[in-house]
Amino acid sequence: MFLAEANPLNASELIFPTLEVIHIAGFAVLVGTIAIVDFRLLGLGLRRQKPAEVARDLGPWTLIGLTMVLLSGPLMFSSDPDMYYLNRSFQVKMALLLVAIVFHYTIHRKVSLSEAAGFGSKAVACISLALWVSIVFGGIFIAFV
Amino acid sequence: MSILSFCQWLQFTGFFTAIRGSWYVYPAIMSTHLAGIALFGGMILAVDLRLLGVALRKRPVADVVNQLRVLKRIGFILVATCGILMFGSKAEEYYYNAFFRTKMVVLSLIFVHALVFRGSVYRRAAEFDNTGRIPGRAKLAAALSLLLWTCMIIAGRGIGYIEPPLEKIHAMIPPVRGAAGF
Repeated sequence: MFLAEANPLNASELIFPTLEVIHIAGFAVLVGTIAIVDFRLLGLGLRRQKPAEVARDLGPWTLIGLTMVLLSGPLMFSSDPDMYYLNRSFQVKMALLLVAIVFHYTIHRKVSLSEAAGFGSKAVACISLALWVSIVFGGIFIAFV
Repeated sequence: MSILSFCQWLQFTGFFTAIRGSWYVYPAIMSTHLAGIALFGGMILAVDLRLLGVALRKRPVADVVNQLRVLKRIGFILVATCGILMFGSKAEEYYYNAFFRTKMVVLSLIFVHALVFRGSVYRRAAEFDNTGRIPGRAKLAAALSLLLWTCMIIAGRGIGYIEPPLEKIHAMIPPVRGAAGF
């Protein structure tokens, strides 16, 4: 059994807020770089570049952001696993996160790297934006439900 | 009228009393604030990393700076509006919060940064493409921007960690299940 008290993360008051800051900065990098691609697919922002160029250039930064949240998130979870596990908002967030990551590296990747533009790519951009924004809501509401 | 009495008046207006009274409106505004940071903070990052020469290197600096300008402004307005709504609903509590005060100082430094570097860097991006090199002052502007926005995140997150001085607060703070923060 996992005891929150036995977790060295709970030894210092500064560790959890530091993880939170890494988590926020991380999702700003993660979601921010994806959003630039999504806005481009919607015909906003970097319009003089091709979506594939933007997606290729920012891909490594998306991965840096994803690494930041996937390192800080589970560490925060481990500080109080029972609370998170039972939290409705956390459960929804994890389900959406799984969908978003799979969606990003399959359909979203294929559409943003292809030359074709049209209704399909705009729909993919909207779904992507909606998924990531919902995950941010899910994260905040953990403390309020 | 002192700043404190303004804060007390503001939080008791009908509008902000209603925000405070609902369990989900305040977290929804906070979520929108954070989602705005995610959606539009990435654009600040992209511009700064381009000026530093570490991302979007094959794209002209002027393209990156100029094409993201409008979206960055829309994002700033969205995030700032949410910030004002959160502040107004608990104005007295924010007034006493040291991290909130720090955040406002950092925000004013961001405006100073914009005033200082707008003419010398952000409006002259096309020159950097013509000469083929990014001058030191542009890299300084980008590094300072990243530093200031990181401080905004740290100070913003810190706000939730300071217990309000309950004996001085007049507005009822609705009970919140779970710890401050996420």
